[in-house]
Amino acid sequence: MERNSNDVRGLLSRMPDNTAFKQQRLPAWRSHLTAWAVLPGFFTTGAFFLGMGILLILSAKSVKEIEITYTSMCSNCAKLRENASNFYKECTCSVPFFIPEKMPGNVYMYYKLHNFYQNLRRYTISRNNRQLLGEDITNVENCAPFQRDSNGIPIAPCGAIANSMFNDTILLSYYPHSSTRINVPLLSSGITWWTDKHIKFQNPRSNNLPSAFTGTTKPPYWRKPVYQLDPENPENNGFLNNDFIVWMRVAALPTFKKLYRRIHRTGPFANGLPAGNYSFDIAYNFPVTVFKGEKGVVLSTVTWSGGSNLFLGIAYLTTGAVMWLAAFSMTAVHLKMKKRNIVSES
Amino acid sequence: LPLFTTPSPSPDYQSGKGSRRPCPREGRKKINQIKTTKYTLLSFLPKNIFEQLHRFANLYFVAIAVLNFFPVVNAFQPAVGLIPICIIMVVTALKDAWEDLRRYKSDKIINNQHCFIYNRKEQDYVQKHWKDVRVGDFVQLQCNEIIPADILLLFSSDPSGVCHLETANLDGETNLKQRRVVKGFLHQESRFEPELFQNKIVCEKPNNNLSKFKGYMEHPDQTRTGFNSESLLLRGCTIRNTEVVVGIVIYAGHETKAMLNNSGPRYKRSKIERRMNIDIFFCVGILFFMCLIGAIGHGLWKGKFSGLPPFDVPDANGNFPSIALQGFYMFLTMIILLQILIPISLYVSIELVKLGQVFFLHNDIDLYDEETDLSIQCRALNITEDLGQIQYIFSDKTGTLTENKMVFRRCTIMGNEFSHQENAKRLETQKELDSDDEDWTKCQYGAFPGLSTLRHTGKILFHMIFFQEKDVTPDQGLLTKVKDAALKLETLTPHKVTKPSFTTGSSITDFFLALAICNSVMVSTTTEPRQRVRCLNSPASASPSLPLLRLTLEKAWGQTPPLAVEIPPMWATRAAPGKTARPIIPEPEFCYEAESPDEAALVHAARAYNFTLVSRTPEQVTVRLPQGTLLTFDLLYTLGFDSVRKRMSVIVRHPLTAEIIVYTKGADSVIMDLLEDPKLRKIRAKTQKHLDWYARDGLRTLCIAKKVLNEDDFQRWANFRHEAEASLDNQDELLMETAQHLETQLTLLGATGIEDRLQEGVPDTITALREAGVQIWVLTGDKQETAVNIAHSCKLLEQRDMVYTINTESQETCESILNCALEEVKRCYDMSKTEHKFFGIPLPCQAPSSTMEAAVPDIGLVIDGKTLNIIFQGNLEKKFLELTKYCRSVLCCRSTPLQKSMVVKLVRDKLKVMTLAIGDGANDVSMIQAADIGIGISGQEGMQAVMSSDFAITRFKHLKKLLLVHGHWCYSRLARMVVYYFYKNVSYVNLLFWYQFFCGFSGTTMIDYWQMIFFNLFFTSLPPLVFGILDKDISAETLLALPELYRSGQNSKFYKMSTFWIAMMDAFYQSLICFFIPYLTYKDSDIGVFTFGTPINTISLITILLHQAMEMKTWTFIHWSVLVASFLLYFVVSLVYNAICVTCNSPTNPYWIMEKQLSDPTFYLLCFVTPVAALLPRYFFLALQGTLGQSPILEAQKLDKLPKEKKDLAIQEWRRQKERLSTACRVAPFPGNARLGHLQVPHFTEQELRDSSIKESSSPMKRHVGDWVLNRDKSSPLPCPGYVGHNQRSPSSSARPSPDEHLLGPSGYKAFGMFTDSQTGSPGASSRGSHKRSQSSLTI
Repeated sequence: MERNSNDVRGLLSRMPDNTAFKQQRLPAWRSHLTAWAVLPGFFTTGAFFLGMGILLILSAKSVKEIEITYTSMCSNCAKLRENASNFYKECTCSVPFFIPEKMPGNVYMYYKLHNFYQNLRRYTISRNNRQLLGEDITNVENCAPFQRDSNGIPIAPCGAIANSMFNDTILLSYYPHSSTRINVPLLSSGITWWTDKHIKFQNPRSNNLPSAFTGTTKPPYWRKPVYQLDPENPENNGFLNNDFIVWMRVAALPTFKKLYRRIHRTGPFANGLPAGNYSFDIAYNFPVTVFKGEKGVVLSTVTWSGGSNLFLGIAYLTTGAVMWLAAFSMTAVHLKMKKRNIVSES
Repeated sequence: LPLFTTPSPSPDYQSGKGSRRPCPREGRKKINQIKTTKYTLLSFLPKNIFEQLHRFANLYFVAIAVLNFFPVVNAFQPAVGLIPICIIMVVTALKDAWEDLRRYKSDKIINNQHCFIYNRKEQDYVQKHWKDVRVGDFVQLQCNEIIPADILLLFSSDPSGVCHLETANLDGETNLKQRRVVKGFLHQESRFEPELFQNKIVCEKPNNNLSKFKGYMEHPDQTRTGFNSESLLLRGCTIRNTEVVVGIVIYAGHETKAMLNNSGPRYKRSKIERRMNIDIFFCVGILFFMCLIGAIGHGLWKGKFSGLPPFDVPDANGNFPSIALQGFYMFLTMIILLQILIPISLYVSIELVKLGQVFFLHNDIDLYDEETDLSIQCRALNITEDLGQIQYIFSDKTGTLTENKMVFRRCTIMGNEFSHQENAKRLETQKELDSDDEDWTKCQYGAFPGLSTLRHTGKILFHMIFFQEKDVTPDQGLLTKVKDAALKLETLTPHKVTKPSFTTGSSITDFFLALAICNSVMVSTTTEPRQRVRCLNSPASASPSLPLLRLTLEKAWGQTPPLAVEIPPMWATRAAPGKTARPIIPEPEFCYEAESPDEAALVHAARAYNFTLVSRTPEQVTVRLPQGTLLTFDLLYTLGFDSVRKRMSVIVRHPLTAEIIVYTKGADSVIMDLLEDPKLRKIRAKTQKHLDWYARDGLRTLCIAKKVLNEDDFQRWANFRHEAEASLDNQDELLMETAQHLETQLTLLGATGIEDRLQEGVPDTITALREAGVQIWVLTGDKQETAVNIAHSCKLLEQRDMVYTINTESQETCESILNCALEEVKRCYDMSKTEHKFFGIPLPCQAPSSTMEAAVPDIGLVIDGKTLNIIFQGNLEKKFLELTKYCRSVLCCRSTPLQKSMVVKLVRDKLKVMTLAIGDGANDVSMIQAADIGIGISGQEGMQAVMSSDFAITRFKHLKKLLLVHGHWCYSRLARMVVYYFYKNVSYVNLLFWYQFFCGFSGTTMIDYWQMIFFNLFFTSLPPLVFGILDKDISAETLLALPELYRSGQNSKFYKMSTFWIAMMDAFYQSLICFFIPYLTYKDSDIGVFTFGTPINTISLITILLHQAMEMKTWTFIHWSVLVASFLLYFVVSLVYNAICVTCNSPTNPYWIMEKQLSDPTFYLLCFVTPVAALLPRYFFLALQGTLGQSPILEAQKLDKLPKEKKDLAIQEWRRQKERLSTACRVAPFPGNARLGHLQVPHFTEQELRDSSIKESSSPMKRHVGDWVLNRDKSSPLPCPGYVGHNQRSPSSSARPSPDEHLLGPSGYKAFGMFTDSQTGSPGASSRGSHKRSQSSLTI
């Protein structure tokens, strides 16, 4: 037929377009999972996972970590803190310990809390990020029930998180010999996220910190106002206090550790902590027995894959092993099928 | 009756009979403006919100959002909690607004169309918009204008006061309809004067009945004139063939009949949605359970502490509520937290997916019909997936399985049969001719070198003439007889009145005259399609102008191609020699526009014998006789066809003899009873015999009869009739009575057999659907014989099927037949079953030797309307259904529309299956509405079926692709998408739930709330949508080639209880992995809440997307890009959000977390191992399934991967294997072989059958039962052999060359039902699918 195609379109105005899309004929790759298609994948990923698992376990094993729980060791202090009336009484406690192996490289000191639910919903939202930006320190919105003290003066920093800040001080001493004692130099810098220190937390603008915080009061559980947190380093005060910033990053799980100090690698500690006797000198302020909690200190080195947790390696190993198992069973099924097909065909 | 009085320009609108009210003000007048929009600018917001809140799910989410505003229970910031439901509602509102806007625009276009309205001030018609038309206005309409409102016709430029309408917009019928000016307005001057109109119009209240309308007009002198729908011009129709008409507006705007008929799309709930709603309740249960765990857990956790821990924050007042109360609060908090366990976006997604699916349905070129320029119409937008789950199809016959294009096949006149073998041959070869029509055309042009300019027209004409069904090749024998008879008639002069004689000759002319006259066919010419032929008998038209001449001449050539070449053009104007004063007019190509295709077929048949209907006006009919004489009959009355009388009549005055003759045409059952001529009993019996043959051949039969009236009788009757027409109250009954009074004592002239050809592709479609496991029932109003024949030719019944026929009017008989048949069938099945067990599953399919084994035949059931009634009344439904379960196909003949819908409802409700009803006529409407899916065929019989259907297609064969391909796709896509949605939401929400175990069940989320919202709205919403619209688990070709794949949908393979729970389990497992691997990794570390949540969120996203990827079977670039885009979008959005949001989501905020995580190797390590571990079981399971590959779907997917040729081979192999298996199953060795032969013991002769069909009242049933009882006692060991008929053909009968010979050969006919061979016809011996075959089914 020599009919013009234009004529056809004109005559049949409602004819659908014959395009691949509208006729659902787009070129497509079809997936069909058969043993042949998936077995190589199973074996290779399985092998990769096994390898990764071993690698991860080895690297986690290389991490040196020591944890000392001191709640029971300082039980007298712990008892003291159970009574709120002893709030201003000092209590120190020394915890000796032994490092059997040298801890090379950067060593980090953490404090660890057990059973402390920083992730409780009402707790996590009891803060005000605008106040912490330093723009309007009287902004205590969302901080209930720690917004204002009984006189109506706004609390800075407000909220339950700030109020319950960890306030033990821990010092580390090294005993190269039984008589000599060297204070291990600790750095409080570089323990926060850079963005926290420089963007999220800012002191209010003023010549000196105390005047900047006038018109506010300290949180009820605190001994000192926020601008006196670190008497040694005036830079490390106010909302920019490193310990404060670390505390304000709410832990995800009820048992957590938070970075407290870095070992300053100078003198005998240039290559990390040598093996030997050490002790923590702890100013015990933070009550934990109320919630059946425990406190501890952790000294740890790190590797590329994180801390000393073996689990990731185990996860890789297990997954890899299961994959191989699956692959083998599938091969068996496949071969059996093939055999049966041959039999039935013949 | 509302009252319209219209002497003034502002007509009164009063309601109540005769009660008058004060004239209303202008503003209250009914105006013609239409408004189909749901909303206005102002009302949109409140109304839309109100409507959306009617949906239960929306209400649930709003309630939860409101709950979130109470500080004691909130889980998120109050305002943020509103976001998801707001977005959902906004999306829905936008969709509604868009739809409404479209309606508004189309309304505006319609309202602003122009028309001419009479203006009193200007004393003339002025152009106005449609919307300004008011009730009582005088409207002037020109040819081809669309009618703006329902208008009462008062004036027509046509001298006979007629106006022609095309109602295609309204009912799809393309033939022209006549409308008449209201009586009393006919004889006016050339112009209608609205100023002089002083009448009051009273008519019925607006209603939606298109064909009924009545009222009267009160003249100033208190006389009344009635009018009816004959004078009503309906809105939306088009004026044709009439220069100018004037009318008065009766109904306007929304009160017009067209608007009242517009019911809009329907709402049905699909099977998947019903299933889904159940599962949502399961989800609610799970949610409740989880919240309970949260509440109790919180209480227990609280109880652990003796004192007040520093992290336990009191409420705003510094108090701690009691533990029980806190637990209760926590319960509510958890509901808010875990709310999306009920998939909020699922409803919106499903709607969007269905829109997409409908889009692709509309655009399928295979479902497009060139002839009508129509694609499939989806009128119900929300049940596309039901197309994939159909188990029963109920089909109409006429117009659905058949073309409803009637072809005249044979006739009997005065007891003489004319077989029209030439015609039959032509129809047989038509297919072949069609294929090489191009060569034919070329040949033609070769012979007409000078006509190259007219090539195009010529080609079209050529097609019309040679390949239209209307064309009838006359029977040579009859043709000569007709010529002789006509010669006699034409020599008659008006003065020589001969006594009416019943010679064959005059009967033949009468017969053909009746065919040509007794109808309501309109005549027009093809050259000017809508110009009616009116006065051809006037001498002036004898000399046509030259261009017309050329055209007509060409047509003449077209008709008799090779011969006409020689004839010089002068031939046309030259007077024919011999005859006096008879101008020969070159015959124009007449177009007959008939209300029913039967009529057109008969008129064409008459024309083939040169009784050409030349023109028809309300007063006159002109017929040209074989010799060219034009006979103009005065049309005295036309008694139209109705379904009660089943006949129509015309009363004409013969121009030559001046006799008043009644020609009646109608169903044989009716006409035969009205014959009152004892002399012609023999003819009647003969004709009846022929009619039975016709019916067996699947022809539609009509009887033609005549009656001569004397002048007095006619006058008396005419008066009677006139009274009836004028009466208002019971006009219908009176008219009916007068018609019945006249149509008595008729003289039989003959009968015609018209073939309704099977639609193209019907047998193929039915075979495919049957292979797909769909049960097909045919419900028809037609005769049993015709229906059975059609069933055979469209492969509904096979040669070797065992057909039970039940026609009875007694309940006991019916019950006993059902019982026996059931027993019989069951035994057969049991036997074959035991054989099977013997063989085991991998049947060693060595082809069973046909001599040894008898088949368990397929079973068919034929039942008629009366028996159906018995079944419904006598509580036999259960047995009936049980029997039908064994049947391959069921035929219900002679069933009324109500019965059709009752059958559908019975099957749907009792068997709990998905049903589909398909039909084309008004009688199928109830059935279409009763079924789960109603499909209308937009064909010859108007639009009523289409209007009430869910989907409208143009041909039956489209059903194949619609169900097998689109149905399967829509179902599998949507089902899998729904399951995926459940999985997705559960697996995501569970992450939050697991976290509760580590945060004291306090309702903390470790994922930032905005990121959670984005997660659902952007990152994981598009892939399921694309999947739901585009994924093809199996290609269209494979689905069409292997219809059995459709069964997966019937069995709800993709979405059933187990699928849902497997998905749930998988979701739980995956969420466990996705939570606990990161948890154990970060345990005891210094991880922060959101720093912990980010990898979990990421892992979950990867897992969910990969899970989707595993579900997808086809990967087009759209799939790829959407998946990759979703993945990238997540990182981009998270990075940007985390980088700019320092305090934006106070008090919690996720500043810089994503960036920090991306610099941590642990994050990558986690993102790698966790999704793999989470998806490993599913992947392994899928791969194992793919390897074992037992299900047909998987096998088919395997095939799809093969290259084209290999695939075709594999499909063939597959089909062969299936066939072998199925034959092995059916043709199992059968120890009762010999016995089966006895099943056929009682056979009835043709005569007995005849008797039973004629004398229905004498209940032949009982007699046959008696026969059977005797038979059983004598010979058969089986209890009920008598009811079983084997429809087998003996080898000799299948070898018969032509059915015509069989029917009409010199040896007479063989009696049907006489084949007593017990030998099983081999399947291969079945003849081609024609329904001209005799049938030996045994009827009781």
